[in-house]
Amino acid sequence: MIGLNLANALTLSLVLVLIGAFGMLRRRSLILVLLSIEIMLNGANLALISFNFFLWGTSETGHYLYMLSIGVAAVEAAVGLAMVIVIFRNTRDVTRDRVSLLGETKAEAEA
Amino acid sequence: MTVPDILFAISAVAVALLSLCVVLARNPVRSTLLLILSFLPISLVYVLMQASFVAILQVMVYAGAIMMLFTFVIMMINPAPHAGEIPGEEPGAEPSRKSDVLWFALLALLGLVLIVPVRYAAVRMVAQPVTKPDFGGVQSMAQLIFTHPDHNPLTVSFELISILILVGVIAAVNFGRRQAHPTSGSATQANQLKDGNP
Repeated sequence: MIGLNLANALTLSLVLVLIGAFGMLRRRSLILVLLSIEIMLNGANLALISFNFFLWGTSETGHYLYMLSIGVAAVEAAVGLAMVIVIFRNTRDVTRDRVSLLGETKAEAEA
Repeated sequence: MTVPDILFAISAVAVALLSLCVVLARNPVRSTLLLILSFLPISLVYVLMQASFVAILQVMVYAGAIMMLFTFVIMMINPAPHAGEIPGEEPGAEPSRKSDVLWFALLALLGLVLIVPVRYAAVRMVAQPVTKPDFGGVQSMAQLIFTHPDHNPLTVSFELISILILVGVIAAVNFGRRQAHPTSGSATQANQLKDGNP
């Protein structure tokens, strides 16, 4: 069975990061890519909290790093979603293949 | 097998399954709601690790604020009344199931390679059990960040986060603003993007 120890907590963290990486690589919708990044951030946060609890019981530095990470995640989500809205306004489409041209036209990119 | 062990096992399995459903779900609204649901077992894991304030932050800030932002954006850009899908994402447009399975196998292999040294190191690290009273509580964390003179770097970096958020707000507002001059550089780029993708 799965007990509450550092090895199992880090395993869960790694599983979350890998699931997030899978979603980030395979989904075509930009919103799903951002959601997958949130899953990966959650895996990293879980590693921070579990290291703090099991190996560093005298102070809450890991909890503090979690708070910094949540601030960065909020900013990343806000800016990323603003970009998604702009892309949707310009192209009526939010799949990531439509924004891979870096300003070139499709013919230029395929040439 | 104690009660925390059982609770951790249940929530770990729940988190992994819910996150997998988030990635595999075809409907983006369903993905977002499943991700919010997956934050509740993670929050339970934090409670088991005596991180009560972090567990509250996870539910209030992450699930309550950030994920609501995602839900609102999906509602905004989801005008197709029948499909429930983001326009342009037809079922056939997704990558094929076969290559999905291939990528999943590749990442699972990577996980197996990584998990062996991680677990090997984790069981050999010197555990330092929690000795601080009120570990993970609000008062304890506030004292850690704001009161002790040795922790001035923590105070400064905490305040720097507010500048980061301010920059993020300015960037988001700037992105969201409609173009005042249609001949400016970014508007031309946007037109090129549109021309390239009829």
